[in-house]
Amino acid sequence: MNHRRLPFVAGFLLVPIVLYAMYVVSPFVQTVFYSFTDWGGFSSEQNFLGLGNYAALLGDEVFQKAVLHNAFLLVLMPLTTILIALFLAFLLNVGGRSDSAGVRGVRGSGTYKVVLFFPQVLSVAIVVVLFQSVFRTDGLGLLNATLIKLGLVDAARPVQWFSNPDLVLWCLLFVMVWSGVGFYMVLFSAAMRSIPREVYEAALLDGAGRAPTFFRITLPLLRDTVSVAWVYLGFIALDGFALVTGLTPESGGGGPNHASELISNVLYRTAFSQGKFGYACAMGVALAVFSLLLAVVQLRVTRRERIEY
Amino acid sequence: MAEVAYDSASRIYTGNPPVRAVDQLNLDVADGEFLVLVGPSGSGKSTALRMLAGLEDVDEGAIKIGGKDVTNVPPKGRDIAMVFQSYALYPHMTVAENMGFALKLRGTPKQEIKDKVAEAAKMLDLTKYLDRKPKALSGGQRQRVAMGRAIVREPSVFLMDEPLSNLDAKLRVETRANIAALQQRLGTTTIYVTHDQVEAMTMGHRVAVLKDGLLQQCASPRELYDRPANAFVAGFIGSPAMNLKTVPITAEGAQLDGLTVPLSRASLDKVGGLTEVTFGVRPESLKLAGADEQGMELTVELVEELGADAYVYGSVRIGGTPERFIVRVDGRTPPAFGQTVKVALRDAGEIHLFHPESGARLEA
Repeated sequence: MNHRRLPFVAGFLLVPIVLYAMYVVSPFVQTVFYSFTDWGGFSSEQNFLGLGNYAALLGDEVFQKAVLHNAFLLVLMPLTTILIALFLAFLLNVGGRSDSAGVRGVRGSGTYKVVLFFPQVLSVAIVVVLFQSVFRTDGLGLLNATLIKLGLVDAARPVQWFSNPDLVLWCLLFVMVWSGVGFYMVLFSAAMRSIPREVYEAALLDGAGRAPTFFRITLPLLRDTVSVAWVYLGFIALDGFALVTGLTPESGGGGPNHASELISNVLYRTAFSQGKFGYACAMGVALAVFSLLLAVVQLRVTRRERIEY
Repeated sequence: MAEVAYDSASRIYTGNPPVRAVDQLNLDVADGEFLVLVGPSGSGKSTALRMLAGLEDVDEGAIKIGGKDVTNVPPKGRDIAMVFQSYALYPHMTVAENMGFALKLRGTPKQEIKDKVAEAAKMLDLTKYLDRKPKALSGGQRQRVAMGRAIVREPSVFLMDEPLSNLDAKLRVETRANIAALQQRLGTTTIYVTHDQVEAMTMGHRVAVLKDGLLQQCASPRELYDRPANAFVAGFIGSPAMNLKTVPITAEGAQLDGLTVPLSRASLDKVGGLTEVTFGVRPESLKLAGADEQGMELTVELVEELGADAYVYGSVRIGGTPERFIVRVDGRTPPAFGQTVKVALRDAGEIHLFHPESGARLEA
């Protein structure tokens, strides 16, 4: 770079870098700093505690419960979403008509694609309202009413969905998967479309039916996309704040007896209801470390040569 | 090994009006034959091949492989292997895995797959590359892997869809010869699609010329060259193309400017009451005439020197309008640009007459 160009380029970079440092980097640094204190959030008084907050986290039952719940979602949510999305994307793109010529999706795949994408355009608030009626705990909810009609559930004792500590996480898992599948189906569809048609045709001529085509051709070629989806979904599973707060407002957004407590909910309550900002910052740092570890592990595990057609 | 037959097979794309991509194709390919389907873009040659592969529906008629009707048999039940223009190699598999994939799906024992792949790799000079992924190969090597994938399966029919179009000119000529030799050696019935008439002429035992989904002629390269069935085939086969002009005809013969080409009794009978015919003569059937000979006055517009030969492009006035003619001359003494030369026929027998409207061949 010659000398005239350097100030020119630096001039342009300066503003974004300053903004980034001010609004993105400095809050991170502050959070880490506060996590070592007992700051209450509403005064400038604070005492330095060292690793005290982190030590307290290790003994905090509610926080540990929340970590376990996040872990539950972290394992099941991406897995379920990706499996369903892959299955649908395969059907919509190459799963149709094994009996005859060509490689195509099932009949009407264009319509299915649009319909399945619907949940993605709904905001979390609307999803919450929707599923509050679906999972109503009296006999009038969509699910309870249907189950009662079918005679599977006693009308006098409708299923307590979100109010049942054993069911609440599964219900949340369902809602998360429902709202995520559409987007990942579209993502995988796009990736499948980027695989040249001739590759599928060659597989067809080599004698591969639907299952071998999927497992030996499509899936290996989608590996990069799936691994990225896994990371994204992992982040969503680590968050889940809005959904839990909206759907299970009991005990301040943690469900019945903390049964749907997630790290983000505990964090929020600790900071804004209990005024323990220092402690909440420690939770935030812990969550950030989990997220980074997740991304590193995931991308490491699936890393390999890039595929070129 | 098997013979292949198209029995009035058609592929119709729905639309308004519907497009008959392949129209009533009748074609019999003998066991072990190398048949080339050739035609310009959109002639339906690739569609015809894909119908045979089972990748396109057959809307009318039937397709038979080895005497068995396979019209509604899925691709994997047809025992065919195809080489695609893009090669369609599996990018996540090594060369060896690519070649052995079909056998693996069939449940062939590992050792047997390995042996067969090794054998094919040796034949194609790919042994060194068996552990590489396709992206680490050159175009020519990828092409050979695609061939290898087809060979390893030992199918009853090979289908090749413009397998050389993605190679550079020199490699194309080399690979052309290799494929022809390989087919000779394996003796497998092969159907080969190309738009390149030189490939068609040099490789095929027989060549089928298609245009707009209709079969124009299917014959040996020699027959196709010497006795094209219509004006389209005459113009399509041969490079540079045959000179095809509409000329008036009288009792003496065809009237070119300053040159009367006498016609045989049989030809005149065929011409019947027509006052005009489409007259065809190949560039090599024309020669430069001496000053005292009868000939057409040709104004030279371009000379293409190829070393041994030179092609002279020039215009001749027929009925008042200038018409372009191409003449092959000796490469060492070509006429100069702008010069006017006399052009005559080398041999009065080396002409082709076609009906001016239908384009059908008129000679017996």
